[in-house]
Amino acid sequence: MKPLDPGLAAEIEALRRGYGEKAIRLQYGESMLALATEFPDFVVLTADLMYATGMDRFGAEFPDRLINLGIAEQNMTGVAAGLALSGTLPVVCGYAAFTTLRAVEQAKVDAAYNEVKVILTGQSAGLSYGVGGPTHQTFEDVAIMRAIPNMVVLVPSDAAEVDACLRAAITWEGRSPIYIRLGRGPEYTHSRAGKAFEIGKAVRLREGSDVAIIANGAMVAEALMAADALNRHGIAAGVLNLSTVKPLDTGAIMAIVKGVSAVVVIEEHSVIGGLGSAVLEALAEVRHAPVRRIGIADWFPPIGPTRELRKALGLSAEGIVANVLDMLGHAESGRAVAE
Amino acid sequence: MALNNMQLPLDLAGLKEMARVNRLDTARMFMAAGNGHFGSCYSCTEIITTLYFGLMRVDAARPEWPDRDRFVMGKGHAAPTVYSALIRRGFMPEGWMDEYETAVGVKLMTHPSRRYQPGIDTSQGSLGHGLSIGVGMALAAKLQKRDYNTYVLMGDGETNEGSVWEAAASAAKFELGNLTAIIDCNRLSVDGATDEVMPMEPFPDKWRAFGWDVIRLDGHDLPALLDAMTPRRDGQPRPPRMIIADTVKGRGVSFMENVRGWHADTITATQYALVKRELEVTL
Repeated sequence: MKPLDPGLAAEIEALRRGYGEKAIRLQYGESMLALATEFPDFVVLTADLMYATGMDRFGAEFPDRLINLGIAEQNMTGVAAGLALSGTLPVVCGYAAFTTLRAVEQAKVDAAYNEVKVILTGQSAGLSYGVGGPTHQTFEDVAIMRAIPNMVVLVPSDAAEVDACLRAAITWEGRSPIYIRLGRGPEYTHSRAGKAFEIGKAVRLREGSDVAIIANGAMVAEALMAADALNRHGIAAGVLNLSTVKPLDTGAIMAIVKGVSAVVVIEEHSVIGGLGSAVLEALAEVRHAPVRRIGIADWFPPIGPTRELRKALGLSAEGIVANVLDMLGHAESGRAVAE
Repeated sequence: MALNNMQLPLDLAGLKEMARVNRLDTARMFMAAGNGHFGSCYSCTEIITTLYFGLMRVDAARPEWPDRDRFVMGKGHAAPTVYSALIRRGFMPEGWMDEYETAVGVKLMTHPSRRYQPGIDTSQGSLGHGLSIGVGMALAAKLQKRDYNTYVLMGDGETNEGSVWEAAASAAKFELGNLTAIIDCNRLSVDGATDEVMPMEPFPDKWRAFGWDVIRLDGHDLPALLDAMTPRRDGQPRPPRMIIADTVKGRGVSFMENVRGWHADTITATQYALVKRELEVTL
């Protein structure tokens, strides 16, 4: 695959500058604080990450509702299940790496098998704590949580959607644990504040008959930039925000891939087992256009600042555009359309 | 036959008889399956019997009653003792015993399941989870200002799991006086003597150091168990309670007592007849 034409890269950069941004951790703290007033019964559990997850104001204003279990995620998840079994809704507030991997058996047995609603939130997922290195970079969590029966997996895409997603989880009436995968620092905002989040429903953000781009998390804004750049050059690209990985909205996937020549699925996660896999599992049942998965290859990625690292790994609008052009047969990526 | 609430709590003679019934029920289930965790069940028979027929506030008509006392079977592989107790208290039909592990879709299996078994407060089976769940249940009682008590039974081998000690620290931090944990100290795990597989004694010193009130007793002594596990419903913040119960693995059946292999084994019709005969005369 050829590098992107500089002119096209500049166009994408210009589009990027048009986006506002907000830190996910900041939004999380604000949202939880607002929700605590509105819903007086849930409690928050943390494993010594109150400050690190933006929950210090919550802790100051609702000290009785912030239960700090110390650096012990297995116990935290078991305690959460015990609370839920006894009628108190727990929101586990931690880093994705530890919430999902360290305590995965508690998530499976104590929460999912027991059929109780426990909200597991995992910040700093993907490469959003890129300088933390592979211990804190989290690129297996969706695969692992998706494989657990009765587990709901949500990957909201920007600050406004994080807010809506938390509200949807707290008010949801199902009897399943819910894993919410979250970033950390500033992410581009594309959605309107106050818009409802519906668990299990994908949202079509762009229409386009040539190419389908399916994304979640921070990659949704990149998908929108890519689609807008492609559209300017006569390639009609549709974008689907698949923020619920499980249960999967297969209807929305089938609808967006219908008639297109290429499908790109992008996620800040391993190409093994995440959104790309989920989409391919659905598409395997039908005739479909070639699908390319952009994600983290089967390796431990290097260390680096989040945005530079994402870009280096092709987790960006530029990566999407280069792949789309390659798939559509443009010999030198971007040249044909840029000229 | 199930007891009704008016017949409870049982007196000492009643508890003793119920412990015998419990061992016979357990053998009946294992005979249906052809095998079972005899040793692990028989070491905790008196503990389970004391809780369900002498102390715990539960009601078969309301398995999800928010004010019921909770029981967590940390050593999930001894679930048949709890099945017997729940059946004799009317939570589940007696006929389920004879279907134990016999076919796809039966209700009773090796480990307790909240999904299929009314009266089971949490599914268990993987060791080291129970105490954390018990801490969550006891915390919920505090948050909701309810006076129910939570009991967690663990195996001595189970305490090898690190999560047990995470839970131990948290129960002390939150001063869960409404939580009682019991260690069924039968000194044998699957691969041999617990002191050889992974030494964990001295238990009393360890639990005291973690901030618990500790009592060590004979786990087959009904009056001692009744006294040590009496519910504490005053809501006062105080250290959680740990009962180190010294027990005999396979207790009640001569050829099973203290024999490693009877942690779990197959059983023949001849052996089953022997078990029944011994239980009729020895206890």
